[in-house]
Amino acid sequence: MQALLSFQQAPPLAAPVRFFLTAPLFAIAGGLLLAWSEPAALLSRWTPTALALTHLITAGVMLQVMLGALFQILPVVAGANITRPLLVARLAHAALTPGTLLLAAAFLSYEPLAFKLAVSLLGAGVALFVGAAGRALHELSASSPTIPGLKLALFGLGVTVCLGALLGIALTGSSALPLQQLTAVHLAWGLIGWGITLLAAVGFLVVPMFQMTPSYPEWFTRRFSWSLLVLLAVWSSVELAGGARASTAFAGTLVLVAAAFPVLTLHLQRHSRRARFDANQRYWRVAMLSLLLAGATCLAGNAWTEFGEWQAWPWLCGILVLVGGFMSVMNGMLYKIVPFLVWMHLQNLGGGRVIAPNMNKVISAWHIERQLQTHCASLFLLVAATIWPEWMLRPAAIVFLLANAWLLRNLLAAMRFFRQHRARIAALTTTATSSA
Amino acid sequence: MTDKDAPRVIDARGLEPPEPMVRTMDALDHLGPGEELLVLLPREPFPLYRALELNGFSWLTTCHPDGTVEVLIRHQTR
Repeated sequence: MQALLSFQQAPPLAAPVRFFLTAPLFAIAGGLLLAWSEPAALLSRWTPTALALTHLITAGVMLQVMLGALFQILPVVAGANITRPLLVARLAHAALTPGTLLLAAAFLSYEPLAFKLAVSLLGAGVALFVGAAGRALHELSASSPTIPGLKLALFGLGVTVCLGALLGIALTGSSALPLQQLTAVHLAWGLIGWGITLLAAVGFLVVPMFQMTPSYPEWFTRRFSWSLLVLLAVWSSVELAGGARASTAFAGTLVLVAAAFPVLTLHLQRHSRRARFDANQRYWRVAMLSLLLAGATCLAGNAWTEFGEWQAWPWLCGILVLVGGFMSVMNGMLYKIVPFLVWMHLQNLGGGRVIAPNMNKVISAWHIERQLQTHCASLFLLVAATIWPEWMLRPAAIVFLLANAWLLRNLLAAMRFFRQHRARIAALTTTATSSA
Repeated sequence: MTDKDAPRVIDARGLEPPEPMVRTMDALDHLGPGEELLVLLPREPFPLYRALELNGFSWLTTCHPDGTVEVLIRHQTR
């Protein structure tokens, strides 16, 4: 049975997994920071706590999970093989992890040296990965919309990090740049140019594959990422040129175009052939609804004066996008990617003589279910904390911390499962060799 | 082509990973010399190509306008 099965094309397990195991640690650090903070920290998105927390989630959680997933996705879905993937993964991870910690510390202390070191490490880590992944993708033809989508997302990541580096330098007092506009452009490129573009490129493939839905319409998959990036580039120019009214109009259009992805995904989910939604599907549903609510909050904050005067609306928007949108999708995808990786590597190690256990046994369904519920509770409490920070901030922070500790526990359980079965395969192989 | 010569078909378009790969590799275990296996998929199976190459199979891929990818597999002729 399956004597031939070989996935030699896949990178070593250690390449993506180091990123997956690091991401929840940054989320736990974010939870601790939030629990430690005074409710006044939520009064503005410019407080040191807000900036440190945002980067613990974006650079610490999102970037780590997204890069880890790309190590796996590039060869499997695009046939793009990163040269020496384990070395690239080790170096990128070794640069990004301390870089993110230093960036959070820099926001909390406003220490110029911390900003300089953080910018250097994050810049080097991302440049290494974008270079290696870009090289692997370079010569591939666009046989599926995922390939140009991945290329555009890598471009979006590059722009985000360059703008972030400029801001980091400006914050050390070395240059006089329009900080507020530059921050808005950096944020938009990070969330839309990198985040949504990557989410869509991967979603076009994994939503029909894992959720048993019809495919996204071809006209949509061919045009979505390009339209988003072109609009983003136009809006960025207008914003930096100082055209306030035109900038608001373009920003509104950008949000509406970006919203097409969650709307279409929710529509496709309604046509899933699966009788009962699994955790991955429910995570995607929470994420798509959160992204739509975030879009509505952003539009209301810019266009509705009374709502725009509420100081916490950018926080609400940020929580919906980062925790409700991106972190939900990532949690859901980790519960597909990690068991698949464990199964695949065990299958390879077994060499056809020992069949890998069922993928569904890698992480207990009970623990996945409870973790999903805790994540949703943390999202609800974090949203409530924007309205009643005095009462809700600490409970929200603690439940958020708990949800991510649970995610880490589940991922570590998968690694334990892998080690146990690897030992079993080694023992069986040794027995078979000695009896032969 | 007679019924005996017709390739065995696996329609894996509605299956969740890794089921298409598992079924294909199972079927290849029993594929005799001169026999063919036709796999219908919703996307190009890059990991499968590598596995086929490593294990001495040749294949022909055809992409259809409805998104179906057909992979016709046989043992490599020596």
